[in-house]
Amino acid sequence: MSYSNRTKGILLSTLLTIASCDMIEYHPYDARIEGMTHINSRNIVRIEESLQGAETFRFAFITDTQRWYDETEDVVQAINRRTDIDFVIHGGDLTDFGATKELLWQRDILNGLKMPYVCLIGNHDCLGTGEEVFNKVFGDPNFSFTAGDVHFVCLNTNALEYDYSEPVPDFKFIHHERDSFPQAAKRTLFAMHTKPGDEQFNNNVAEIFQYILHTFPTPLCCIYGHGHKLAADNLYGDGLMYYQCSNIKDRKYMIFTINKEGYEYEVVDF
Amino acid sequence: MKWLIFSLALLTSAFTPAYAYEWAGIAPDTLNGEYEQRIYNYNKRWQKLIPTHTVIQYAGSIGTVSLGTGWDYGKHNQWETTVMLGYLPKFHSDNNKITFTLKQNYTPWSLPLKHGQLTVEPLTCGLLLNTILSDEFWVEEPDRYPKGYYGFSTRIRAHLFVGQRLIHHLNGKDKKRKSITAYYELNTCDFYLVSLITNPDYLKLTDILHLGFGIKMQIF
Repeated sequence: MSYSNRTKGILLSTLLTIASCDMIEYHPYDARIEGMTHINSRNIVRIEESLQGAETFRFAFITDTQRWYDETEDVVQAINRRTDIDFVIHGGDLTDFGATKELLWQRDILNGLKMPYVCLIGNHDCLGTGEEVFNKVFGDPNFSFTAGDVHFVCLNTNALEYDYSEPVPDFKFIHHERDSFPQAAKRTLFAMHTKPGDEQFNNNVAEIFQYILHTFPTPLCCIYGHGHKLAADNLYGDGLMYYQCSNIKDRKYMIFTINKEGYEYEVVDF
Repeated sequence: MKWLIFSLALLTSAFTPAYAYEWAGIAPDTLNGEYEQRIYNYNKRWQKLIPTHTVIQYAGSIGTVSLGTGWDYGKHNQWETTVMLGYLPKFHSDNNKITFTLKQNYTPWSLPLKHGQLTVEPLTCGLLLNTILSDEFWVEEPDRYPKGYYGFSTRIRAHLFVGQRLIHHLNGKDKKRKSITAYYELNTCDFYLVSLITNPDYLKLTDILHLGFGIKMQIF
């Protein structure tokens, strides 16, 4: 059988079109990743470099953006319109089902931020192959970085998802963070997806967790998401505040300003 | 695991050359008496369970490559039910996976072309259910979760699909098959569809439509 050049051309261009519009999917959980990976470590380099020695800086906190792509695009635009935000922290739950495309769509939207950002892992992100894809696209579920003189300790607290297969929260990591605390840092800020006392948290160790947080140099506060509503609680009555940001559907994000005296926060509607 | 065994058994039976009408061993006009009539009817009923086609499919959100077998039925064979096993390599996840698919197809029109050798089916559509055969996924949340914590299954996905087909009739040239059909399908799954509706600005229809290609071999 012979084909004319024209037929071959049509066939080839059709195949190229199909390949380029990325319409081939092997499965919603296929864990096929195209585009940028290891985003947290890339962005941490940018955050640490740009804020080295800074006494005052400001970051935005957003969380629980799962399947609210339009709202996530809007918050990215709202944050980009400001010129005073140094970086953004996402508190987790970028996906609802832990499906691969869900995470990549969120990544692509968040990559529209003019400033660097980091993402924590949420309980929904652990579903199916979600955790494996998250680890590849964003990085380890526990990570840390230093901005100015504040060390940010970002912890995976979704214990229920791991069902004792892995230590959550990982005290080995937490101890290591404390014992090898960066010289440039004097204060600590903790970020996590779920707070102690939540059904996701390993509540058998909640008080020990809180105790260890206090052994870090000058703990400022804890920020978290998961509950889909605003909250500010002195959880253990010891002065260490826990701030919960609402989900992105509520069209709110938080701004934290760090200065020499401590921190200030505000809730912004967009 | 029991699904795997069941579907493997079905696949094996489908790929075994089966000349169904010879199984009865007798033609209806040579029947003598009630007993032979009964055996003939008995065989005929069981013959309906013999799959009438096999398929091989690339992509289509049910695995990288899927093999399947199924039944054509209805007045114009416009209905089709296929069971498939799909292979999904691990890519960036920890394990390779096997999927099982139950696919229901409806083909409203068949348009014969070119001396009856080719037939175009301008529309095929249907619903499929896919499940990943892996403990990483669940139908209902494991007991450790509060009741109704997620309210969905990570293991079973429902997909809608539409496609087109071209059938090549073999007219006895190929002793193994009656016809060969090439098809493509565009599918989307439950939560993609909901996400498209709730995110009209960010998501476009092309973001949630996924292609699959396949070849269907009609045994009889």
